Formats: sequence, C-alpha cells, structure tokens
Amino acid sequence: MYNYNNFVNNYRQNNLDYMNNMFDYSELNNNQNMNLFTPKEGFEKGNLFMDLYSEYKNYKPRKLNPRNDQERLMLEINENLFAAHELNLYLDINPNDNSMLALFNDYRKKAEDLKKQYEQLYGPLCITSDVLNNSPFLWEKTSFPWEGGNN
Amino acid sequence: MWVYEKKLQFPINIKNKDLRMAKYLVTQYGGSNGELAAALRYLNQRYTMPDNRGKALLTDIGTEELAHIEMISTMIYQLTKDATLEELKEAGLDTHYTEHNKALYPTDSNGMPFTVTYFATTGDPLADLAEDMAAEQKARAVYENLIDLTNDPDVINPLLWLRQREIVHYNRFKELFEYYEKILNKKS
Repeated sequence: MYNYNNFVNNYRQNNLDYMNNMFDYSELNNNQNMNLFTPKEGFEKGNLFMDLYSEYKNYKPRKLNPRNDQERLMLEINENLFAAHELNLYLDINPNDNSMLALFNDYRKKAEDLKKQYEQLYGPLCITSDVLNNSPFLWEKTSFPWEGGNN
Repeated sequence: MWVYEKKLQFPINIKNKDLRMAKYLVTQYGGSNGELAAALRYLNQRYTMPDNRGKALLTDIGTEELAHIEMISTMIYQLTKDATLEELKEAGLDTHYTEHNKALYPTDSNGMPFTVTYFATTGDPLADLAEDMAAEQKARAVYENLIDLTNDPDVINPLLWLRQREIVHYNRFKELFEYYEKILNKKS
C-alpha cells in the first residue's frame, strides 16, 4: 500500500535540505495582519484582500442576485472556489502561513461539497464527476457557459 | 495538465447586443495587454523560476488567465451573436466578418492579430517578474478605458471584477519580485 506519511516525511527532509542550502526562506508577510472580506463580498468585488482592494472612480460592484435555486447554489460554489483560489495564490508565496492554510482548506472543502451537490442536481461541472455514470452522456447534454449554462 | 470546469469564474449574462463594445473588448482577448498574452507569458516563464514559489504562482495565475480568456470571449460572443450583417457593417466589423464570420479570433481593437511578440521570456526571474508587474498594470489601465466606453451594467460588472484581478496579481508578483530580489541580490 502507498505510504503517504513516508512520502511527506521524505519530501519534507529533502526539501528542507534543499531550501537551507539555497535560500533564506524567511516569510515576507510575517506578522502582517491580513484583513479578508467574506467569500461573498470578496467574490462580488473580485478581491478577497481588503488591503489590496481599490475602486475605479465611483463604480461599485453590483450585488449578484441569483434568479433560481441552481444559480444560488452556483453562486455559493463560486464564492468558496474564489476564496480558496485567492488563498492559493497567497500560499504559493507564503507556504508557511498555517492560519491561511487552515482557511484555504475550509473554503476548498466547502466548495468541493457544494460542487458534488450541484452535480447531482444539475449535471457535471467536471469530466471526473460521478454523475457521468448516468445515461445519456450528461457532459454533452448540459449547456456551455457562454450560452448561460452553469452561470 | 489541465482539467476543464464547465462554468465561468464569474457569471456573465449580457442581454443587449453592442457591436462597438465587442470591437473594443476583443483587445483584452488578443491585444498586447490581453488575457491570452498574459496566460502565455506566465505559462512560458514558469519553467525557469528559481524555486517552487515562483513555479507555483506563475502556474496558478497563468491558469486563472485561461479562465479570463473564457470570460472575455463569452462577453464578445454575447454582445455579437444576434447581430445582422448591416449592423456588423455599421460597427466596422465587416472586416472581421470577411475572414471569421461571427467566430472568435484573437486580435486587438484595431483588428491586428495576436502575436507572441507581445510578451517576453528572459530566464531571469527579476526581469520576467518586472514584465509581469507591468503587464498587470497595463491590463488594469485597459480595463478602466473599457469601463469608460460603456453604460451597460451587464458589461461593466465583469470588467470591474477583471480589473480587480489585475490588482491582486500585480501585488502577488510584486511580493515574489521583492522576495527574489532580497535572495538573489543578497540585499539586507
């Protein structure tokens, strides 16, 4: 059986040796108090990080109003995926920030759970989805996003 | 490799056709500061980043740019799909129609086809990331020009959202630039 713990331990040891030889891996954002929007606010704005947000002229982002249950669920998926993606980009260059890593995993899991619910109700978002066990081939049956599908 | 998700990163539902706006907007698909140039820039530069922080950030932002190509393309498609030939002529899109009918094609707003000369790779992380920071700022400025050119909230809202992504990406590239600068130039 594949021993995941061995992989992680070997990876850590090898990588630490490598890192110690190459670079000073001190964190850029240590002790920086990060103020985050909620996933809902962040998704509406296109920016999860309060300190990075800046408006253009007097334009305000429009409130997103789902027209039905499908759009409501998709919005919630998008909000959580977006929050996870924002933290993903942050963690790429701050990989030792454990509080952000915990938050990333909260949003990631929430998005994954909601995606499974959505796919059961409205069809596959990804070609790996279990709902593709059904006939006919649902990947071809549901609308594409530029036609308004899964929007 | 990549796996397709059959959804947009941000919802787009444009109800009114606007051929002039489609003609301007295409520059964020195939223009010098557009999303296609951004995706190719980062996805080519990532191989020679000095560590996994750079490789991860350029992979993940490059991937997001592919989703932005789909958003811009969706906007152009929805703005033009119901146009008549007369309307296309009036908007100056008859020259596009000649070669492409209503199909998508990456050009700038003057119809100049996309070219890889819009981006560089140098193998030098500081030089590459300095280009990336400039590219994000230029794309932000173009989004602001585009927002000035329309009154349609269905168009403005996704443009505001994409503009904000340029700001976040700029700041991530800047952090990485400063981090490499400290390490590579042994600055205190």
